[in-house]
Amino acid sequence: MIFWFELVAGGLITGGIYAVVAMGLNLQYGLMRIMNISHGEFLMLGAYFTWLAHTVLGLSPLVALPFVMAGLFALGLGVYWVCFRRITRTAPSVEVIEARSLLVGFGLMFLVQNAAYLAWGADLRGYSYLAEPLQVAGLRFSANRLVVFAFALAASLALLAALRWTLLGKAVRAMMQSPTGAQLLGIDTRLLHPVVFGAGLALAGAAGALLSMVYEISPSMGEPYTVTALIVITLGGLGSATGCLLGGLLLGLIEAFGMHYTSPSLKMLLSYGVLIAVLLARPKGLFAR
Amino acid sequence: MARTSMARRQAVRGLLAAGITLLSVGSWLPADAQAQTVKIGYAISRTGPFAAGAQISQEPNYILWAEQVNAAGGLNVKGKRMKVELVGYDDRSEVETAVRTYEKLMGSDKVDLILPPWGTGMNFAVMPLMQKYGYPMLAPTATGRKLLSMKNPYFFALLQQPDLMMIALAEFMKARRVETAAVVHVDELFGLEQMSALEAALKEKGIRIVEKKSYPIGVKDLQPVLNDIKSKNPDAFIALSYPPDTFLITGQSREVGFNPKLFYASVGTAFPVYRDKMGPAAEGVMGLGSWNPKMSPAAKAYFDAHVARWKKEPDRWASAHAWAGLQILQQAVEKAGLDRKALRDTIASGEFNTVIGKIRFRNGENVSTPGVVSQWQGGEFEIVWPPDRATSPALHPKPRFR
Repeated sequence: MIFWFELVAGGLITGGIYAVVAMGLNLQYGLMRIMNISHGEFLMLGAYFTWLAHTVLGLSPLVALPFVMAGLFALGLGVYWVCFRRITRTAPSVEVIEARSLLVGFGLMFLVQNAAYLAWGADLRGYSYLAEPLQVAGLRFSANRLVVFAFALAASLALLAALRWTLLGKAVRAMMQSPTGAQLLGIDTRLLHPVVFGAGLALAGAAGALLSMVYEISPSMGEPYTVTALIVITLGGLGSATGCLLGGLLLGLIEAFGMHYTSPSLKMLLSYGVLIAVLLARPKGLFAR
Repeated sequence: MARTSMARRQAVRGLLAAGITLLSVGSWLPADAQAQTVKIGYAISRTGPFAAGAQISQEPNYILWAEQVNAAGGLNVKGKRMKVELVGYDDRSEVETAVRTYEKLMGSDKVDLILPPWGTGMNFAVMPLMQKYGYPMLAPTATGRKLLSMKNPYFFALLQQPDLMMIALAEFMKARRVETAAVVHVDELFGLEQMSALEAALKEKGIRIVEKKSYPIGVKDLQPVLNDIKSKNPDAFIALSYPPDTFLITGQSREVGFNPKLFYASVGTAFPVYRDKMGPAAEGVMGLGSWNPKMSPAAKAYFDAHVARWKKEPDRWASAHAWAGLQILQQAVEKAGLDRKALRDTIASGEFNTVIGKIRFRNGENVSTPGVVSQWQGGEFEIVWPPDRATSPALHPKPRFR
């Protein structure tokens, strides 16, 4: 019995990690149609900043987290200003925004990754933080994974609440549905767009900060996370905060059970199999309206 | 107006003339210097997924070696001192880029010597070129009987072959009366070859495999598998793993409270970052290693030089093999000069003193360095098997994860 609980809990925790990874991209792609393929690279930056804060300044990664988020938010405003402002202003339709931002994202990916190689070299880095196993109701987990899971839950719920019930959230959703209409209603999209983009980068940074406690880091760590994020937000439904969380959890559970019943080598097959099945049944994702 | 444009034109002409003079000076200067230098070319991963391994175990050694040789007056080429000039390119972790770069280095740049790229796959891909152009290559990060079975006379493998490493592990297990083992392996050439070597070695020693599972590269969670294995309660757990999963498996075993008497993980255990990332959980973990600074004064000297130059420790497996390869090349060049055919024959037939002891090759295989089992003990990756090479007795059974 305890074995099944462990399997489910393990799957949920991994799913929580997936959800955290996907949240930032969900804001950028889901809400703004900016296909930021360099999402994983900014996650990597967040991981490196946290690693630096921990090993050089001796800060706890959890204390560093808000600073990393603030730093990446500011960076996000800058990146938006330089790269995406013109695209979103001049593109005649959201499809064009998608296509153009994809190309810019590729460029950013190489730029950021190689900057990291220059700054820190290619070595694997890592530190040990909250890696002690915790006993929760007879189940054992490492504390750092639980922290990531808790953050995934809290951040998803906060995001959900903000989008649904605050004026700002409504403005963001309005901007997504019809940029022109939103402007006519007095929503300042020129301010809102960079802020949402920056928030996406801040969430990527937060994910990186949290993952640096669990996994070791290197400048090339980002790409697989971009792929995971894309699967999760497609599964959950673009732009849906609930979908992002549940999509991540679902993926984690499927992988955990799949690994138990079959072989871990079939993991990718299972993840993509589920993605294809969901897209066939509900092309807009599980939780899209 | 006309005057200024005239003046500008003159200025431009002057600059051009100066440039041309510089260029012509530049073109004969290196030619003169060329006679004094030995050009050594290589491609290695500085970016991409292979970069971490390449920059831990391999390229830092190339640069350190070249600096040391030049500081000592240059490479001894049959009694004549010549400065070493490294020509290194990034292969971006792409096999095609590596192949093209070596083609260029040997075919059109005509460097004097080459150094190998990082990793079994890369070495496998560029091996045929070595034979085509006749450049001996001493590879520190390539394992597998498959490479040796190519019978390429210009290829020399410095690392112990998988069967040697797995037989050493099985011998240790037999000596400590281990009866059952569970194995996971990465679904890739390395994991498969280690797996078949391990199965053969364990069978020969009468050790039963109670569970074996494979997993893909880049896996982020293996908890379900480790829970399954924990419930089977094997004496020994062996992971034939790559660096990211080596860390993952150790961390998650500790997480689920899986405490077998013997815990072995493969590539990556020898990296100092493993000790730093795992903290107290590294204590008692065994893995693929080959040397440590306690082994000999030569090893200590190499270790200290590496730390002084790079502000980081070399890894306890392939780094010293990379260094040994450079030492062999240096000794062979001293004897045979830069005639690459003679150089190859010297390497193939001689015996060399290196940081990991004497090395001799037979059919391209290093037949002097035995299979080794290493174990983290108090911050050092101690050699615990074979007994005549051990730097410390083994901690067995392994202390529980803390």
